[in-house]
Amino acid sequence: MRRVISKTQSLCPVCLKKIPAIKWNENNETYMEKSCPEHGRFKTLLWRGSIPMENWVRNKVRARINNPNTTVDKGCPYDCGLCEDHRQHTCTALIEVTQNCNLNCSFCFANAEGNWQQDLSWETIDTMYKSVMQTSGKCNIQLSGGEPTLRDDLPEIIKMGHEIGFPFIQVNTNGIRLGEDENYVKLLKEAGMDSVFLQFDGTNNQIFKKLRGKPLLEIKIKALENCQKYGIGVVLVPTLVSGINDQDIGNIIDFALKWIPTVKGVHFQPVSYFGRIPDLPENKKRITLGEVMDRIEEQTDSKFKVQDFNPPGCENALCSFHGNYIYQKNNELMTLKRNVSCCGSEKAEEGASKTKAYIASKWSGNQAENDQFEEKNNTEKIISRGFDEILDRINRYSFTLSAMAFQDAWNLDLERVKDCCIHVVNARGQLIPFCMYNLTNTEGQSLYRGQ
Amino acid sequence: MYQEKEDYQSWICDKCQKELELTKVKVHYLEGEFEVELLNCPTCHQVFINESLALGKMAEVEQGLEDK
Repeated sequence: MRRVISKTQSLCPVCLKKIPAIKWNENNETYMEKSCPEHGRFKTLLWRGSIPMENWVRNKVRARINNPNTTVDKGCPYDCGLCEDHRQHTCTALIEVTQNCNLNCSFCFANAEGNWQQDLSWETIDTMYKSVMQTSGKCNIQLSGGEPTLRDDLPEIIKMGHEIGFPFIQVNTNGIRLGEDENYVKLLKEAGMDSVFLQFDGTNNQIFKKLRGKPLLEIKIKALENCQKYGIGVVLVPTLVSGINDQDIGNIIDFALKWIPTVKGVHFQPVSYFGRIPDLPENKKRITLGEVMDRIEEQTDSKFKVQDFNPPGCENALCSFHGNYIYQKNNELMTLKRNVSCCGSEKAEEGASKTKAYIASKWSGNQAENDQFEEKNNTEKIISRGFDEILDRINRYSFTLSAMAFQDAWNLDLERVKDCCIHVVNARGQLIPFCMYNLTNTEGQSLYRGQ
Repeated sequence: MYQEKEDYQSWICDKCQKELELTKVKVHYLEGEFEVELLNCPTCHQVFINESLALGKMAEVEQGLEDK
């Protein structure tokens, strides 16, 4: 017997036509099943783990897009831009400043490689930044690619973003140039790069060779040293692939803890099947958020626990989890947890604002000294100093463990798409939910990328 | 509850009539626990936090510990 837990809409992985889908439970697993009149049935694992998917909820009152870029015509997901039916504001806008790359990874959502494609001009990037500002205001920016550090003018692109008014600019990189070229790191810092989103798949070179084609551990460490030298905050981002690095989760976390306060957290991304993929997905190889939480607890000897984690207040609950900690002077971790699932509905708009502020403050590098408030006498000075020390700890020694599950053509749930807050900017200045921008069918054809 | 004498350092606990002293106090917020020096009564241990601290640094700490 199968128990249907909800119905939604998805796409056929072959023709990308919209089709109905059901989600059902069997033992500790949740599956999506859907049927295309032309291309048959598809059954995909959505969730596996000690917390049932039905319990991973955080209800939100939808936000409204103030300045939609596109009109509703064919319905979700064919009108992205954002359209007025979209239910969440932009938390992070992603600009792919190049399609060139110095690696040729087995999995790559951008399907980037080589050094032959024309980079976006400054004029185009300027238009993209301004379009984001008009649609979404002062959200966080992530410069991505391809490999953005292949551009010598990346510091100028960062400066341009800050001048337009974006307060937090992060660079998503494989770290090779950051490790090889210290002066470039210095220029990025001087330009106002706030944070590095560093591809970091494991703690041994076998993992890098399998996933990235090269032994990269030493150069990643060099990149971390350079970021440490210039006070740049780094988030380690492992792409989790079954049988390759899913047993290295605990080691990656241990590695990250040794690099506090330069490393601000680990953000796991279970692999999704879009862009360049070595094989079509198999359910047994899927890694879901439920399992990632379980494995974190198992592989860290319960230093980090499943109960530490919350569903997000910004994107759809099923898209991510996060746990917040403070690394204390005695090298112990303080868990900061608020039970969010029991409290009725929250405003999606507030979730987006809080997430933007949280990322900007916790994932950045060196924090400014705390302002001294006017103290009247010695007693106040002593009290004030105590609170300054706590604030310093919170600002510089916060540590986040998180994961985000992207959606591909097999596990796509359009309810989640409508709640998306991570938007890729296209050259026309439209904002496309990340998974829709990257989604490809069985033949590798895109819905949005390159269109 | 408290009476201010001549300056900030001289606060008296209204209940116990003792002068407040600076001592280490554990403060909790959410799951966070920190030790800071605050004025409190040596007898009943009630802690005194003035308005500028409550609305200033203490609020900043609370915000820093809150989840996104």
